[in-house]
Amino acid sequence: MAIEAFSDQWAQQFKDEINKSSVYKSAAKGWKWKVGLVIEAEPDKNFPESKGVVMDLFDGAARDIKIGSADDARACDFVIVGSYTRWKQVATKELDATKGMLQGKLGLKKGDLPTIVRYTKASQEMTECTTRVPVQWPDES
Amino acid sequence: MARRKLTPKQTVEYADSAPSAFASMLGGLIEANVGSRPEKQKDFDSLEARVGIWVTDIDEGVTLDFQKGHLVVHNGLWPKRDITIRAEAGTVMNLSNLKIGLFGMPVYYDEVGREVAGKLVRGKLRIEGLLGNLATLNTVTRIFSVA
Repeated sequence: MAIEAFSDQWAQQFKDEINKSSVYKSAAKGWKWKVGLVIEAEPDKNFPESKGVVMDLFDGAARDIKIGSADDARACDFVIVGSYTRWKQVATKELDATKGMLQGKLGLKKGDLPTIVRYTKASQEMTECTTRVPVQWPDES
Repeated sequence: MARRKLTPKQTVEYADSAPSAFASMLGGLIEANVGSRPEKQKDFDSLEARVGIWVTDIDEGVTLDFQKGHLVVHNGLWPKRDITIRAEAGTVMNLSNLKIGLFGMPVYYDEVGREVAGKLVRGKLRIEGLLGNLATLNTVTRIFSVA
């Protein structure tokens, strides 16, 4: 059954998918920083307010993933910002997150660049995990 | 073409007034690497070469003009390049994850190294100008490496 995009239930399922992934567990070994995703509002897509996804990731596991405000996400060690449409494209495999960052469609606004590059494989697997969560998108309902 | 004003401490300069996201990312990566690791600073200070990187799946590229302790990053491919690397985005990022082994040589026998070597063999990673510039390529790889 599809879940409302970027809801608490979505966050829980996303966390479960990450923790089920042996690829993520291995690729993210040593990671110890919080990651915030800012999903910028797009009122014309029925996504009227920006949201934040706050991910407490530690040593190959997701300890907690919560939905909060954009400011909650901006307070994390690493902050990646994109519009609702871009994040939807990532979650539906229309946009590769690495390519999105190189093209400026997603922006790393905070965090040490060499560190995030070192964990490219982990971030790619995390993207794979989002695609495994069935989502009801607000602009499709 | 507007050039940003250079301050004495600035090691990376962007040739374009609006550097592309890719140019900013590579420039930022090199600046952070060189600033935090003395061995990379030594490589950076000695390197004089023009290196192009073209990302085939986003049709974007940059030219890195290394000038012995100073780097100018250009949007797109500029002429007179010593080396040009052409690969997909994921492979370009993977190049930064090559470990550096004995004698400062990139390691091609671990998982990341084998993946990169495999792309080279299959033509998914193309390096133009390699002949005669192997030492330059190794130096650039060391500067890029975050592993």
